[in-house]
Order: sequence, then C-alpha cells, then structure tokens
Amino acid sequence: MMASNRVLTASPRFVCRSCSRQARSSSSYRRSYATASSPSHDIYDVVCIGGGPAGLSLLTALRANPTTSRLRVALIEAQDLSKTASFSLPPTQFSNRCSSLTPTTAQFLNTIGAWPHMKRSRIQEFHEMQVWDGVTDARIEFDWQPGSYASQGNVIAYMAENLNITSGLLKRIKELGGVDVFDNSKVEKITFGEETEDVDLREWPVVHLQNGKSLAARLLVGADGANSPVRSFAGIESRGWDYGRHGVVATLELEGDGWGGEYRKTAYQRFLPTGPVAMLPLPGNYATLVWSTTPANAALLKKLAPKDLIALINAAFRLSPVDLAYMHTQTTGQDDELAWRTQHTHFDPEAIPQLVVGVQEGSVASFPLKFRHADTYIGERIALVGDAAHTVHPLAGQGLNQGQGDIQSLVKTIEYAVAHGQDLGTQMSLESYNSERYAANHVLMGVCDKLHKLYSVESGPLIPLRSLGLKAANALGPLKSFFMEQASGRGLRV
Amino acid sequence: MPAPTRAVANGLSRLLVPRPRPQLARLARLLPPTATSTASSIATTPSSTSRCHSTFSSVNPNEVSHFTALAAEWWEPHGSSRLLHLMNPLRHDLIRACLQESSPSASASASPGTGTGIPDASITYLDIGCGGGIFAESAARLPSTKHVTAIDPTPSVLAVAKAHARKDPSLAGKLTYQLSSVEQLPVPAEGQGYDVVTLFEVIEHVDDPAAFLDRVRPLLRPGGWLVMSTIARTWISWLTTNLIAEDILRIVPPGTHDWNKYVNEDELRGFLAGKGWDSAKVVGVVYVPGLGWREVKGSEKVGNYFFAVRRV
Repeated sequence: MMASNRVLTASPRFVCRSCSRQARSSSSYRRSYATASSPSHDIYDVVCIGGGPAGLSLLTALRANPTTSRLRVALIEAQDLSKTASFSLPPTQFSNRCSSLTPTTAQFLNTIGAWPHMKRSRIQEFHEMQVWDGVTDARIEFDWQPGSYASQGNVIAYMAENLNITSGLLKRIKELGGVDVFDNSKVEKITFGEETEDVDLREWPVVHLQNGKSLAARLLVGADGANSPVRSFAGIESRGWDYGRHGVVATLELEGDGWGGEYRKTAYQRFLPTGPVAMLPLPGNYATLVWSTTPANAALLKKLAPKDLIALINAAFRLSPVDLAYMHTQTTGQDDELAWRTQHTHFDPEAIPQLVVGVQEGSVASFPLKFRHADTYIGERIALVGDAAHTVHPLAGQGLNQGQGDIQSLVKTIEYAVAHGQDLGTQMSLESYNSERYAANHVLMGVCDKLHKLYSVESGPLIPLRSLGLKAANALGPLKSFFMEQASGRGLRV
Repeated sequence: MPAPTRAVANGLSRLLVPRPRPQLARLARLLPPTATSTASSIATTPSSTSRCHSTFSSVNPNEVSHFTALAAEWWEPHGSSRLLHLMNPLRHDLIRACLQESSPSASASASPGTGTGIPDASITYLDIGCGGGIFAESAARLPSTKHVTAIDPTPSVLAVAKAHARKDPSLAGKLTYQLSSVEQLPVPAEGQGYDVVTLFEVIEHVDDPAAFLDRVRPLLRPGGWLVMSTIARTWISWLTTNLIAEDILRIVPPGTHDWNKYVNEDELRGFLAGKGWDSAKVVGVVYVPGLGWREVKGSEKVGNYFFAVRRV
C-alpha cells in the first residue's frame, strides 16, 4: 500500500504535462504556441503493449468474457505477429523456447478457448519428476501418490513451445474478433493526454506509435517484458539482482521415447553447483534443455562442436561435479572424455534421462538469469503483468504460469469493475489485482530464489542438511504431494 | 436493541469526545446560514422554468458547508471518501436485484453482452445528493443505463463532480449534473418518471425525512425503485461512525455524521407505510478493515444498511 501511494504521487513527475499538452481542437480558441495538429487520439478502454503469452491471453480473456467483451481493446507489438500466427514446423523440429504449463494454466487457456487452437501433437505432458542433488546424489522422485487429490489428473505439467502458445492465442483472438492489433509497431513515446473543451485526458496515458498514430488508454497494460517501457512511464521501480548465470537452451534428440515410453514421460532436474540442469520431455524422442550455468560455461556450450556438446550434456546428468568442471576446461574432446569417465562412474541408468544423441541445429541459445520484482503492479491507469512485473529463476518452470495467473486475476478485477460501473483504469479499481497477485508471486519467487542459492553451495554444513531435506521429503508421501500440487498450480493459494 | 434517546446520547458524546474542535464544518454551524452558504438561497428560490412543489427546502445549510470543505478530496483513492468508494459496488448489486425482480423475463432471457438480463440503455436514474458523483458516474457507465440525472445542493461539490466526469469520455451524453434540491425538480407527468431514484447517505442529512420521502415519490414512475443507504441510530453506530471513525481513527472527516439525524429501519418503514410503496427490502452491511464492506444479515438493526422500496 505504501508503494502504491508513492507511485500515485510520483508518477506525474515523470512527464511534463504542459510539454505534452497540444492544441485545442476548437477553432474559436487557439493558443499561439500550439502545434498545428489537434489531439485526436483513438480512445480505448484497454491498450496492451506486448504480444507475448501474457498480453495475448489478456486480450483473449477480455474478448471471451461476456462482461468485458464490449470493451474497446488494442494490442501493440513491435514484431510481426503474422509470422507467429502461422507458426509451423515439421514434427521432427521443435523451437528452443519452451515453457511448462501447469494444469491450472492449461485449464485457463482452455476456458478462454485458446487451447483447442494450439497444436496438441506438439505438446507433451509429463507425469513424473526426478530431482536430485549433483553433489550428494540425494534424490526426490515426484510422482502422484495413489489417492492424493491430484492423482486423478495425473499430469504434473505440459511442455509446450512458446510459439505454439502464442500462435494458438492469436488464432483465438482472430476467431473472437474485436481486437485492434498494431503489430510491426514501435512505441515512440508514452505521454499523458490533453484537456480539450469536451474531455480532460490529462490523467490518461497516450501511446504514440512511430507511424504517427496515438492511442489514449483508460487502462494501459504493460506486458512488455523485463525492461518494460510502461513500467518506466509509470515510475514504478523494479528491484532485484542478476544471478551471474545464463540459461542455456537447446532442443535435444534422445536415444528413445523415454524409459516409460511415449505415454509416461518424466522431467529431470539435477542441481549442480553452477546451477540446475533440466531436461524436459517433448513429443517422441525429443526433449528440451534448460541449463543454468556460469556465463563462461554458457559461452563454451554455444561454441562446442555438436558431438562434444552432446557429450557435455550427457555428462551433466551423469558425472560428478569435479569431472564436469574439468570437461568445461576443454575446448574440444568432451566426447572421448565422457566415454572414458563413464566407465568409472556408477549410476542407475533408469534414474537419469536417456542418452542424448543429437542437438537440433541452431537451437542452442542462452540468456542471462535475473530476479526482478516491481514495487507494485498497478498505478493510476497502469497495470503490469508477466515479466514486466516479475522475472523469476527458471528452475521451477513458473515464469509463464505466474504471468497467466496475473492475467486471470486482472481479468477478474476488470470484470468486477465493469459490472459495477467503476472506471476500470483507476487505481482503486485495480487494487484487488495488486493485492491478490503480489503476495502470491512474492512467495513463489522467494522459494525459487532460495532453492537456487541453496544448491549453489558446493561444500560446507549446508550440504548434508539439504541432502537430508531431499531424502526426508522423498520418504514422506503427503509432503511430496503437497510440493507437487504447488508445482502444478493445484496447491494452496497463498 | 432499542435506540437510545437523543438527549442521553448527546450528553454522553459531550462527555466522551472533546469538542468543539476548530473544524471548519463545526465552526460553520455556529454562523448564520446565509453567511456560510449560498446554497440555501438557491434551494429556496423557486425555479422559473419548472413547476415546483413549494418553497420548502430539505437542504440543511450546515450540511452544505460541511461538504463544501470536503469537495477537493472526493475522488482521492485514499482520501476521506474511500469508504464510500468501497461501498459503491454493493449499491449496484442491490439495484440489479431490484430491477431483475421487476422484469421477470430479465433473468430468463439474458440480453447479449451484459449477462445481467437488463436490456441495454433502458434504465433512467435520478441520484439525489450525488456529491462528487461516485454513484452517478458508475451508474452512467453501466450498459443498461439510459441516462443519469444527478443533483446536489452544494455548488463546490457539484463543480468537483462535473470536473471529474470530464475525465471519462464515455460519460458524455449519459450523465447530467444539476445544482438543485429535490423541491426544484419538475414533477413528471402521471405515469412517467425515473426508473430508479437513489438516496445514498442522504436521508441522515435532511431535517425532515418523512416529508422529504413524500416529495421523492412523484419523481418515480409507477413500478420504479427508491434505493437508499443510511445508518441506524444505535449505540453501536454512534460508537463506530462518530466516536471511532470520526474522532479516533479519523477515517471519516469529523462533522460528517450527526448521529441525532440517523434513521432506523423501522422508522423508515413508518415514514413509508400507507403511502403507496411496496416490496421493501433491506440489506445490512458492515465494514471490515482489510476485507471491505460485507453484507451481514441483521446488521441493519445496528449500523449501515441499504433500503429499497418500489412505488406502487
């Protein structure tokens, strides 16, 4: 509440209103300093900047809801969305940017009618998680205990390419109609509106596009990512730190469909001192890699010849941290090194992922990992969603799901405002969105952050303690179910 | 619980609460009405353009000056009107329930878009004592609303309302503000009138509630709804609205409430009995810090409540 107060009073300082005020449209009254053009902004109820999963599902949900479907809404996106909409790859190729969708998220996407527009054959659900400590090998196996609340559904999460999600949402938006889409559109600036004889838009954000068009927004939604221009405009601080880690992603080809065959898939995650490495199942004998590691290691992984990269990925799930560290000092030859070291390392092959036999060409990429949390998600006529509000460590695969949780809450808030005649853009109307989502996101982000830090420690008193933690958790069925229900979004609402 | 007598409670409040304090509103009560407000003259001057009841005025000049002092804060989200802003959605819930009861076809054949069953642009509202326009604006935004006429006798408050309405282009053409008392409004022809007349936190500010309600009835069309909210006169309401809210926590500006003018539900029923009203419904509401306003059955006997009644 303190934060929102501060923002409310602070925001006018960031834009000089008299600077942005333009000519009055009246012919009888024209100021001499006025520019020639009169302010003729297109007036919208909701303008969303950012056409990623969060922004697109916001517009889809607003259009699909009978109470909010009358709102005049617009989407502004810098990229060409027609390419996203026509997303198509052969079944032997997968995009390297994948997300795990919790059953809650999947249910939401189904409710707003987007799920049927996604390519179902490219989505892979998994029913089991194997998580272990790379230093001590303490292990926790996640699978639903018979009789637990969620065991009927049986799915922990769905792996889907981000492009499959956004393309499905775009198709649904097209089907619903009524969204003014400005793609290939760069935002030149955001200002406040002007006062004319009829209306006073001095508290309304106005988005100016490079093509000269300007949109006045009753509510401006920032779905515009971690460096959100909307957040800067609103004067909302985002605080956090960089992990000094990069996430390396790649699409992998495995020796088979997984130990459980194509109908019972497992996600694997091993905590290494440099960060967690995860292999998440895709349809058939494909999987997606998310490896959090040092920037130097990430640079090496991107440079290696395919056979050496494959060897290093296989090593990451098998060899000791000491062996792995050595292999990261090699510029080549990891292939031979793995073959030799594997003979001297004992492991249960069925407790780790099947061998990687190929890496899809051009799929290796990396991005810096950050922790960021905005001071508040709302301002007067401003709402932040998804990465614009929070950026989380990817180790729990919660980033996209948190964004979808934001959207569900924001749409519910807007619906309530519309049904009760409130101005949906005012801070007072938006309060419930902020209070509902801020605490929930904060708890989840804290847990992911602490997990990362706990498992970054290579020696010392923490090591036996954390192993004890994993072993104890593994033995306690009800506790595991609780963790899994949290992970799949069916747990207690915090 | 029987309401305490006014004299006793007055004496008690003098003992417990240090007053008078140098509050603008309180000070205003000591001065002659003409010196503090121009609204009284507006209210008692018969309008030349419309037929009026009489020169009777329900407007208390002291009340007018109190709200003059509050005008600037009306729309501050954390200002003195926050509790009213938070209460506003509950008013709509009650009105919607009334309108749906009136047109039985409504709930069966939901009109497309709104889902409320009330046809688009079909309802006319008169909001008496609109203040800064918290309810009037929200009513005008509803798709089912045809038009809202909102009146208030305090010029500075109405100026705030008009200036604020300009901040939302969607209100243009659906919302009209008038500096007026009830007596100055033209009386509609027989069988005509507003679908909904609202009196939110108003009845406890007028001097003769029974006479006031008699003057409101002709403004409604037959079958139209009078919807009000007010506060019961009980020990608890004195404690919560006067002592705690105004004097201790100061979440409501001191001088806003005159406990002696609070109206109990049974008194309200008494004022309306035998005068052409039916279908009375009452909803008691309680403000829970941290949770907001909540409907609590039976709480109309204790504190804040809504009261709706239909003109026969």
